Amino acid sequence: MITVDNLWKTFKLSREQKKELARTKTNKTVDAVAGVSFTCRPGKIFTLLGPNGAGKTTTLRLIATLLKPTSGSITVSGYDVVKEPLKVRAQIGFLTGTTKLYERLTPNELVKYYADLHGMEPANFRKRKEEIFSLLNMQEFANRRIGKLSTGMKQKVSIARTIIHDPAVVVFDEPTVGLDVITSRTIIELIRSSRNAGKTVIFSTHIMGEVNLLSDDLAIIHNGKLAYQGTYKEFQSQMKSDSMEEEFIRLLKEAGA
Amino acid sequence: MKTIVTIFRKELLDSLRDRRTLITMVAIPLLLFPILIGISSRVMMSQIKKAQDKVLRVGLLTNQTPQAFQSMLMEREDLRVIEYLTLEEGTAFVQSDSLDAFIAFAPSFERDVMELRRGGVSFIYKSAERRDIETDRVRKMLDAYSTILREARFKRMNLDAAIVNTIDVKEQNLASQKERLAEVIGGFLPYLFIIFCYVGAIYPAIDLAAGEKERGTLETLLTAPVGRMQILLGKFGVVTLTGVLSAGISIFGLYIGIRQVREIPPELFQTIMSILELKSIVLLISLLIPLTVFFAAGLLSLSIYARSFKEAQSLISPLMIVVIVPAFLGLLPGMTLNEVTALIPILNISLATKGIIAETATTWLLVEVFVSMIALAGISLYICSKIFGRESVVFR
Repeated sequence: MITVDNLWKTFKLSREQKKELARTKTNKTVDAVAGVSFTCRPGKIFTLLGPNGAGKTTTLRLIATLLKPTSGSITVSGYDVVKEPLKVRAQIGFLTGTTKLYERLTPNELVKYYADLHGMEPANFRKRKEEIFSLLNMQEFANRRIGKLSTGMKQKVSIARTIIHDPAVVVFDEPTVGLDVITSRTIIELIRSSRNAGKTVIFSTHIMGEVNLLSDDLAIIHNGKLAYQGTYKEFQSQMKSDSMEEEFIRLLKEAGA
Repeated sequence: MKTIVTIFRKELLDSLRDRRTLITMVAIPLLLFPILIGISSRVMMSQIKKAQDKVLRVGLLTNQTPQAFQSMLMEREDLRVIEYLTLEEGTAFVQSDSLDAFIAFAPSFERDVMELRRGGVSFIYKSAERRDIETDRVRKMLDAYSTILREARFKRMNLDAAIVNTIDVKEQNLASQKERLAEVIGGFLPYLFIIFCYVGAIYPAIDLAAGEKERGTLETLLTAPVGRMQILLGKFGVVTLTGVLSAGISIFGLYIGIRQVREIPPELFQTIMSILELKSIVLLISLLIPLTVFFAAGLLSLSIYARSFKEAQSLISPLMIVVIVPAFLGLLPGMTLNEVTALIPILNISLATKGIIAETATTWLLVEVFVSMIALAGISLYICSKIFGRESVVFR
């Protein structure tokens, strides 16, 4: 369970950014997230849809305690992100499309490293690793250096790393960016299986096809504010345009106006 | 603590699998001294031997050279005597390198000597060096001839040749060989150790912070349930270890280097070996540890701030000067460890090392160096943790 309540995140602009924005804005800060509230339920996939720069990554980083909120609150499995960040982190698995791995380690070593950081019991770890490695067919390359693996293999290692500690909440930040159809498929299956295992899943994307494939709940974010929030079914039934894509653009325009 | 060890072990494994770390940490410090010492001693020895074995061409003036001197030269196998008619002619041949030296006795030389005056001799040679093995050989012949003439003169006057000595100086230098050696190499050694400490720490510092940021693995690491301070300490431990190891390996390399040179006088060799004994090495390394902690914290701070490997390199490279200058100041004569210099970072390590080698450093001053370096290391580590804690730096 994730609850986000009136979340704000303000960044100071760097000197270069100020220069770029000098003509349009006079303020020295920018609100990346401006008063966002939503709830992600266990056993459901919550999709955060938005164009580039909408505030998706910032929101997810705030949930994962990588950033601290300027105001508002977030709780993950009942733990407050500001007061108990370590407990929050113990609850979540975090995977982004830009996630890279330690190329000089082997999949075995890498997964063990994250299990150790999560303080897993050795017996529990072995059992869990066994399950994940055979599910993803990872045994044959488990002892090769990650740097020498194919993109698909690396993605499997990333997945194993994300879920080794059996997190109650899984956060995916544009997880399929730059992946081919087949590799994306393993991620999509992971998202589905996480939901089926009763986990709380939040994922961000700008790809309509993925929204359609996965969403239970949907929020559209634009300029740091939510332009739509509800179940995906409601969204589909309320559509005023012919396609999802056009409806998305229509909503963004409405929000921007 | 367990988490810090987990992070430390992973970072160490990761670093040791990187060929570049191994080169800067092990290969260079281990091989530099043996190669440097080996090559320079061999080149020097062969140069000296060449100069000693060379047959020198010495020009003399026909009819104007005392017979005794000419026969002295002729007897030597390593000299070839050539006669010339004029001083100008001989000088021109020295100028054009056809002659190694030219000796012209004044026309009145033998009469002057007989009449108790000083006889004039022109000694012409071409050498850019102040002490030159080749011309020294010829100069020694002149000195020997002068002695012969003096003794003959004294004998003629029925005097003992020893009466020219009016005072008898008995010199006694109480400085131990170690102290004298410390003046020569004592400044140079810490200079190298400090540099190796720094250079050894640079690469892992960049790799483990800016490198991790650039490769996109830092974000994932930060989502693990560990404190930033634990991550920092784990990384920091590896950077410190590589710095100290690389300095330690360079000491070992120096030891191997000295062992392979056979031309060192045995007494000097014993002194050098006693400097490299366990006790002083342990003392040296225990001084290098807080220094490396200080380096590691500074390097990691910059490296964390940098967006990429390249940016980190361009931030860190100019700092080499900041390390070299105080280390170099320790080389200057007259610079010694005192209450003030013990507080100046890097310089204090340089001077303390010199003091340890010469066995002149007092315990109190060494403690002062140690304590001030630990305090500095603590402060820089604190600053580093503050930088690592700032999200504007981590997600720059």
